[in-house]
Amino acid sequence: MDRLLVVHCPDLLDEDEDGATLRSFAKVVDAVEAYCPWVATVRPGICSLPARGPARYFGGEGTLVRLILDAASDITPVEVGMADGLFAGLLAAHRGLVIPSGGTPDFLAPLPVGILGNPELAELLTRLGIRTLGEFAALPESHVLGRFGADGVTCHMVAGGRSGELAELRQPLAGRRVDEQRRSGRPGGSPRRATVVDEPGFWGGVSDADVRAARSLAAVQDLLGPDGVVTARLQGGRGPAQRARFVTWNAQERHVDITLGAPWPGQIPPPAPVVVHPAPLRAELTDARGEPVRVSGRGLLTTAPGRLSVEKSPWAEVTAWAGPWPSDERWWSRSRRRSARMQAVAGAEAYLLLVERGWWWVEATYG
Amino acid sequence: MDDSVEHMFVSLADQQGDASSAKGLAGGSDPEPTAKSLALLAERTRPVSSSQTRLLPLLPALADLFPDGGLRRGSTLVVTGLAGTGPDGTGGGISMALALLAAASGTGSWCALVGLPGLGAVAAHDLGLDLARSAVVPRPGAAWAEVTATLIGGVDLVMLCPPFPPRPAMARRLVARARERRSVLVVVPGRAGWPEPPDLRLSVSGIHWDGVGAGEGYLSGRRMTVMATGRRSAVRPRHHRLWMPSTTGAVADVTGNTADVTGNTAMR
Repeated sequence: MDRLLVVHCPDLLDEDEDGATLRSFAKVVDAVEAYCPWVATVRPGICSLPARGPARYFGGEGTLVRLILDAASDITPVEVGMADGLFAGLLAAHRGLVIPSGGTPDFLAPLPVGILGNPELAELLTRLGIRTLGEFAALPESHVLGRFGADGVTCHMVAGGRSGELAELRQPLAGRRVDEQRRSGRPGGSPRRATVVDEPGFWGGVSDADVRAARSLAAVQDLLGPDGVVTARLQGGRGPAQRARFVTWNAQERHVDITLGAPWPGQIPPPAPVVVHPAPLRAELTDARGEPVRVSGRGLLTTAPGRLSVEKSPWAEVTAWAGPWPSDERWWSRSRRRSARMQAVAGAEAYLLLVERGWWWVEATYG
Repeated sequence: MDDSVEHMFVSLADQQGDASSAKGLAGGSDPEPTAKSLALLAERTRPVSSSQTRLLPLLPALADLFPDGGLRRGSTLVVTGLAGTGPDGTGGGISMALALLAAASGTGSWCALVGLPGLGAVAAHDLGLDLARSAVVPRPGAAWAEVTATLIGGVDLVMLCPPFPPRPAMARRLVARARERRSVLVVVPGRAGWPEPPDLRLSVSGIHWDGVGAGEGYLSGRRMTVMATGRRSAVRPRHHRLWMPSTTGAVADVTGNTADVTGNTAMR
């Protein structure tokens, strides 16, 4: 998760009719941008910046917080804090704290569930005797999904410090309005930003192409939020989904060396699938006569695969398959379940199928 | 003729026709059009004589498909896979598009992949993509065109899987912007479609998966035929039979099976 410095301007949260608060906030963003060009406007009155690079450059996180506090305090009262992720960063700013890296779950744990800003969820949790973010985070995710739905899962991940922000924190349009404000206030464009970014070696000897790419990716993050742009890291793991990790793109960490370790035991041999579905697709697999294909207790298919349908698509003939290979790992649920993987060629596609309790899923497509 | 001069005329002509549309995509107003066109002119008249700056490299196995043997900066390519079975069926299209980016990515160009929520990063790496210089915008949603426009010019290669059917005017603007900013736009239209004729269209056919049978083996590789058709110097279709992926996940020639559409063995 991103190490974020959050600037909160309590007096500039509500827009007035003549746009004075928006103009003041634009000045705050300008002032903060002198320290880091990748400032993201969260909503009017709140902005954030990825802190790792600037903190290193300016001699520590505390120093960076003080510098930005000084720079912005000339314009309006501000609160500045730092933590992992936007949600915790905002709470840290309220309290004027720098939460050490990795300490975010402990920081969040004693806070009341109401702080998630979801009154229905808070009421439900309180009735169940769960009063703090820590207690909420301790619930198994499978229970949370079943009881509280997808929104509940998002809150749950934020409560446990595993995810950085709640969807409703961010107002994408606000960022653009603030940008317009800043442009109109400075007819010559954005000189300060240009100076900082173009200074050679500011982030340690990067090429012109790197700077251009960083600037355009940051602009996309302004539009979609930081998590809108991700980059892949490879790691060991059995299934295709476990072998890659996507992290929020961050200009300061772009030169990451990726080394592939030795082949993982039990890993499916290469080639790897080109599409790994974020959520597995529901599939139906039958034999030529339409009888469902199952995996017996001994790990064998009950009948030969003949036809496959993915998410209710028209049936396609299965022309070849391999497996099943038992996979006795924890997959998307917390409880340990027996599952097996299989490769199947149907039509023009090859699929990696997963079967669990008689249900077939497409985990990945070779595309 | 010096290519830079040709490029200058093309770009300025495009710019007049597309000035308003480019503005609309960038989402901002332009207070000083004169300054902008001067800056553009300066950009255009930069020496771009060597083929190094005009062309981005391609994997050797793919170079035959391109009239210039490389990816021409400013061009738009459309990659269509073979119609698959499921809703996710890309029929080799995504592999092919990733393979097009691979060599340039390996030599320092940045890639952005827009609208690909489930990129198989291991496969992309094995095809040759440098993940450290690649950024993914998995779900651009309704902002997909604006996101793509922002990235064109910022990165050398933009791969786009449009989440929604693009309107012709929108597609035209993105193509014009790629030409103006000298980025390569690789579109995998999938079901959304792409209404604008590209500089080069690559279509996949003749897919055959190896290594699996009735329950035994593992998928070990896929052979496919890729056909390239385009405009100007690429009017005559070129065919190439490829391993994509090979047993190592890379791209390789299927040897002894390279022929152009007239049935003659292609010059290799």
